[in-house]
Amino acid sequence: MPETLGLLLGGFELALQPVNLMWAFIGCLLGTAIGVLPGIGPALTVAMLLPVTAKVDPTSALIMFCGVYYGAMFGGSTTSILMNTPGESASMMTTLEGNRMAKNGRAGPALATAAIGSFVAGTIATLLLTLFAPLVADLGLKFGPAEFFALMVLAFVTVSAVLGSSMLRGLTSLSIGLAIGLIGMDNISGVARYTLGVAEFVDGIEFVLVAVGLFAVSEALYTVLYDSKESDGSVNRMGSTWMSREDWKRSWPAWLRGTLIGFPFGSVPAGGAEIPTFLSYTTERKLSKHPKDFATSGGPGAIEGVAGPEAANNATATGAMVPLLTLGIPTSATAAILIAAFQNYNLQPGPMLFIDNAPLVWGLIASLYVGNVMLLILNLPLVGLWARLLRVPKPQLYAGILVFASIGVFSMRQSWFDLVLMYIIGVIGVIMRRFDFPVAPVIIGMILGPMSEKQLRNALSIAQGDWLVFFKQPIAATLMAMTFLVLFVPIILRRRGVRLHEDD
Amino acid sequence: MSRAWQFGIAVFVLVLGIVYGVGALGFPAETGYAGIGARFFPTLIASALVITGALLLWQVATGGLRNFTDELADAAVNLGGGLWVSGGVLLYALVITHIGFVLAATLLFVCVARGFGSRRWWLDLVFGVALVLPVFWLFTMVLDVSLPHLLNDWI
Repeated sequence: MPETLGLLLGGFELALQPVNLMWAFIGCLLGTAIGVLPGIGPALTVAMLLPVTAKVDPTSALIMFCGVYYGAMFGGSTTSILMNTPGESASMMTTLEGNRMAKNGRAGPALATAAIGSFVAGTIATLLLTLFAPLVADLGLKFGPAEFFALMVLAFVTVSAVLGSSMLRGLTSLSIGLAIGLIGMDNISGVARYTLGVAEFVDGIEFVLVAVGLFAVSEALYTVLYDSKESDGSVNRMGSTWMSREDWKRSWPAWLRGTLIGFPFGSVPAGGAEIPTFLSYTTERKLSKHPKDFATSGGPGAIEGVAGPEAANNATATGAMVPLLTLGIPTSATAAILIAAFQNYNLQPGPMLFIDNAPLVWGLIASLYVGNVMLLILNLPLVGLWARLLRVPKPQLYAGILVFASIGVFSMRQSWFDLVLMYIIGVIGVIMRRFDFPVAPVIIGMILGPMSEKQLRNALSIAQGDWLVFFKQPIAATLMAMTFLVLFVPIILRRRGVRLHEDD
Repeated sequence: MSRAWQFGIAVFVLVLGIVYGVGALGFPAETGYAGIGARFFPTLIASALVITGALLLWQVATGGLRNFTDELADAAVNLGGGLWVSGGVLLYALVITHIGFVLAATLLFVCVARGFGSRRWWLDLVFGVALVLPVFWLFTMVLDVSLPHLLNDWI
């Protein structure tokens, strides 16, 4: 423990250097802006910013990327509350109560409880990250290739099979992502695979290209095809962000509960903030002394229904940093892109990172504390300023998004071929969205696919080709058992459910 | 219409799986100590694609994708807008190395804005230049990201 404290203090020394403070501020600013703007999320923004890794040193760049990631979570609530459109699926619950409060003239307190709640949750979750990350990294050091492979399989399955409306479509997306990841040079034998003789394919398809295609291009195409009408433009009025004593009293238990629900969900490889925010919402509804206030009961909007889910949302985002930093396992699309950022610097997140690059890791963790304070300041007094971003008209907004997207993709290899590929992937993304195929498994499959193949082959090499290695070692066996449970319990339950239904 | 698309997706996944499977046969079979080589993982993923593709096909044949209600089946599709956006992106890809980033990105901006229904292209041209120029300077001069020039460092 005292050891951790020393490392963290060292991290603060790094994070509080003016130049790193500046990058954190830029990240928070950008993050908030894109969180507020509908249509772009943190995954896309980090992907578009990846070219800066050419010039900026790793600590600063990663501090900025984390600022973007957090900022987007903070900013998302502004859009949900002031307009009736959640910026991302995790803000759905906030929209429900927050927008109702705003319609009844209480936008200010709703925005305040969201911002302060995000701050409280972010800070507590970062504290938990500080405590747990070294422990998990120590555990990770005991992991061999077999354990890592089992962990990745678990991550694949939870991310693609548990979330979303259809396990089959999730697994299809995952398979497509894995298939894209196969293109290029095999990193063990050096064989070129699926390159179709195209020189550009030998290095593999750039990760950023797929991310930008799937998020930016497909978002723009989807919106123009199906949703290009200007929204009615009704932005709720702001009012003062002052919270009454009653508001505080109702908010703080919700913040704490939201944090406690969100953090564990972020830190297990289950991906997504939808489940924890939903859980937090239902918990608050059940525990509330004012159940009639909830929008779902026709009330004027309950403040705890904003406070809880917003806290849960932020705590999940921080929780996701645990498997990302300590094991190198991404649990969301944004986390996967952060891994790509590490890889641009030839850094591999995982237990060794805590040993080989301790200053960087602790600088990053310290910057999360700093970033939370910055975001609170950016979001509470300046929320009126951000609300103006909601008035950017769609044509210019999407035109701007595509300009930025294309810079990121083109600047990687100076190749027009990549831009055409980006467009094709964008079209595929539109079809996927149209027919409800989730996109995140593609991204995760693409980044984890090559890593898992390497771990699999190393594990089998060590075990001399003995497949039972995954079931003989206790940790790997446990992870494999969990994977089977995750895959088959829902099917079995559904079978039962269906049968009961038929009996009725 | 919706069913035809769903059918197309299922066939695409299935065919992709078969193509991957056939491709895997071309990789060296040597396996070393692991007992598996460059061929194994591709075969695994090809099988996953074939299985998911076949299951999708089965779902489409027996009533359509599960847990999916096509809310957009009868929605009006703004094809013209889609063409403007697509055209803008593809045009950008084709001309960027010839006319430089600034002009190409401005063109992209104007086309996309037009696709989203903006009627005043000259105004978008002004907005586009106002956005693209500072971004170009930021990326090329501050961040050292190289982008194609037209004349000199400034444009």
